[in-house]
Amino acid sequence: MRFELIRRDRASLEMALMAPVLALLAAGLVSWALFAAMGVPAGRALWTIAATPFSTWYDFSEVLVKTAPLLLIAQGLAIGFRARVFNIGAEGQLLIGAICASAIPVLLPSAGSPLLWVAMMALGMVGGAAWAAIAAFWRTRLNANEILVTLMLSLIAAQILTYLLLGPWKDPMGMNFPQTRMFQPGALLPGLLPGTRVNLSLLFGVAATIAAYVFMQRSVTGFRLIVTGTAPRAAGYAGVSAARGVWLSLLISGAAAGLAGAAEVAGPLGQLQRSISQGYGFAAIIVAYLGGLHPVGIAVSSLVMSAIYIGGDNAMVFADLPQSAVLVVQGLLLTFYLIAATFVRYRIAWTGTARA
Amino acid sequence: MTHTRRAFLGTASAAGLAAALPLRASAQDALQIALMVPSPAADVGWSRTLLDGTEAAAGAVGGEVTFLESISEGPDADRIMQRAVSNGARFVILGSFGYMNGGLQLARRFPDVSILHASGYQTAPNFSPFAAKYYQGTYLMGMAAAALSTSGKIGSVSAFAIPELITSINAFVLGAQAVNPEIECSVVWVNSWFDPASEREAAQALISQGCDVLFSNAQDTPSVISVAEEAGVYAFNLNSPMKSYAPEKYLGVVGTDWAPFFTAQAQAHVDGSFEGANHYLGMEDEVVYVSDWTPDIPADIKTRIDQTQAEIVSGAFNPMTGPLTDQSGTVRVEDGVTMTRDEIQAMDWHVAGVTTPLPN
Repeated sequence: MRFELIRRDRASLEMALMAPVLALLAAGLVSWALFAAMGVPAGRALWTIAATPFSTWYDFSEVLVKTAPLLLIAQGLAIGFRARVFNIGAEGQLLIGAICASAIPVLLPSAGSPLLWVAMMALGMVGGAAWAAIAAFWRTRLNANEILVTLMLSLIAAQILTYLLLGPWKDPMGMNFPQTRMFQPGALLPGLLPGTRVNLSLLFGVAATIAAYVFMQRSVTGFRLIVTGTAPRAAGYAGVSAARGVWLSLLISGAAAGLAGAAEVAGPLGQLQRSISQGYGFAAIIVAYLGGLHPVGIAVSSLVMSAIYIGGDNAMVFADLPQSAVLVVQGLLLTFYLIAATFVRYRIAWTGTARA
Repeated sequence: MTHTRRAFLGTASAAGLAAALPLRASAQDALQIALMVPSPAADVGWSRTLLDGTEAAAGAVGGEVTFLESISEGPDADRIMQRAVSNGARFVILGSFGYMNGGLQLARRFPDVSILHASGYQTAPNFSPFAAKYYQGTYLMGMAAAALSTSGKIGSVSAFAIPELITSINAFVLGAQAVNPEIECSVVWVNSWFDPASEREAAQALISQGCDVLFSNAQDTPSVISVAEEAGVYAFNLNSPMKSYAPEKYLGVVGTDWAPFFTAQAQAHVDGSFEGANHYLGMEDEVVYVSDWTPDIPADIKTRIDQTQAEIVSGAFNPMTGPLTDQSGTVRVEDGVTMTRDEIQAMDWHVAGVTTPLPN
């Protein structure tokens, strides 16, 4: 039997809203079977993953801590994705942002200004944008694929980080372990909610959401960007520069990722170390698409995504789930959501039986 | 078996939830022990030996273990250890250097929680670093390695260039020099506790340089051991025996058994006598042991190894005794002087004979 996917004339709003719910149910069912087969009490394990992130103030505050970088990066990436500029290397831009921001407390350990973090955030944004600009340069100059260039630049960024941590920036009191000294208080982001680790970076994410909304839905520049993505030829005839779209997309997404990196080292980490991001740069790609590349959708999907992470960690603490089982549940959820989202936009058309 | 607080979710959700508060009710229950490690607990390696030791301690004091595996060092680790304590854990074992800052904060916030922290250097009233004197065992392995090496070159695939691992390599080379003064050792730092692909490549690189005995230093995978077996060169590792991965060419293991130490510390916590202290444990404490020796070691060398081992256990001999010369040829420890424990735990230089410079 042969079938193909036909784009629906109109995607129904009800189905679009139902898709995540159905995905959640399907992932729940398969996980249930999986846990039962493993001999783990399935109901409690799933309940832990789904409910505990929202069950206490502490847990929810940790969800917000994780939401901040995901939200910030995903908003930046989504702008580029809608212009069909695929920055896959947000992880690298995040690392460079973190490195640039760390330069201030590492090189000026005795600087006592309580506003050091402001300069750090600015440097982080510049660093992330500059790292992404390399890809924009090669894309517009040589038509080099930005997916490959940004992705590979991530590997280079990781090596730069390792070099700095093992060499010039190593903590002199750190017993040779690859990490910098702890930052002075002025180099740390102010907290937002007392008693939690939520800091100013959540506001950066919220500000990025509002800015992305205004930019993409209301501004002419944003409209031009979308047109270069959806109808490049028409854009060309209308005198909209494709190169400008590439530069803008990469600079915005790079700056957002760099800021996220700066906020991580100046936030929950308090130092530059090997594992800065727990993969935020890559997870944000999923967040951006789960949110339908729409600023409001991304605000929701970043919250859901970080809740899944926190719930998964809690399942390990409370429900005796091995780490790998948690990863399987997270993978199932995303897979089912993508399947559901596809069916919202497409329908299957049977085109007859198989021919010899 | 590990157990968790199965009853927790029911009560907690019903109560509308104050889970961030310590559960006082657990005081008369079994002692809740949490173990956090950076790598998955495979059948062998560091995480496995810590888990075995923790479960033995739990069995001895009637406790229950929550096992937290593959937790990367950073904000996630801080949150998860806090979560475990909020959930009732009162005795916490942190199995990685990188958990130190988060663990110290946790110790400050929860004075009634006792914390053991691997490989660190900070101490607090309820926060004790612990480490194994692997160097006692790697010295013996070095003696065997020199006897079996035909190329005169031996090598080590090592995780991080922290003093604990540097000391292990130095003792390995000193032991080898006791048998063959001309021997040379190359080192590859992979900067990971758990990275099978990099470890494999590093082992292959050392073998292609002519190293015919390999030391898998603080890896939680048998990659180096199995690469060595395929290439027909000897290899040994730390923590738990990996002979099943190298039936022909397994040199032996410098093993660790944490059960006695963890049990004593957990008991101290229960008795209220836990004190923050730096625990540096070796063969004399029955924490470090050597076993699974290859039968290929010449009999006279094996006799020397056994004698040396007996002297280490009795305290008559310490491998870190001068004269010790560093890579530049400078004498760092004078003839007859034994390094102090603090000096050994802060060792940040290689002895002569290690050909690879330290990453600096």
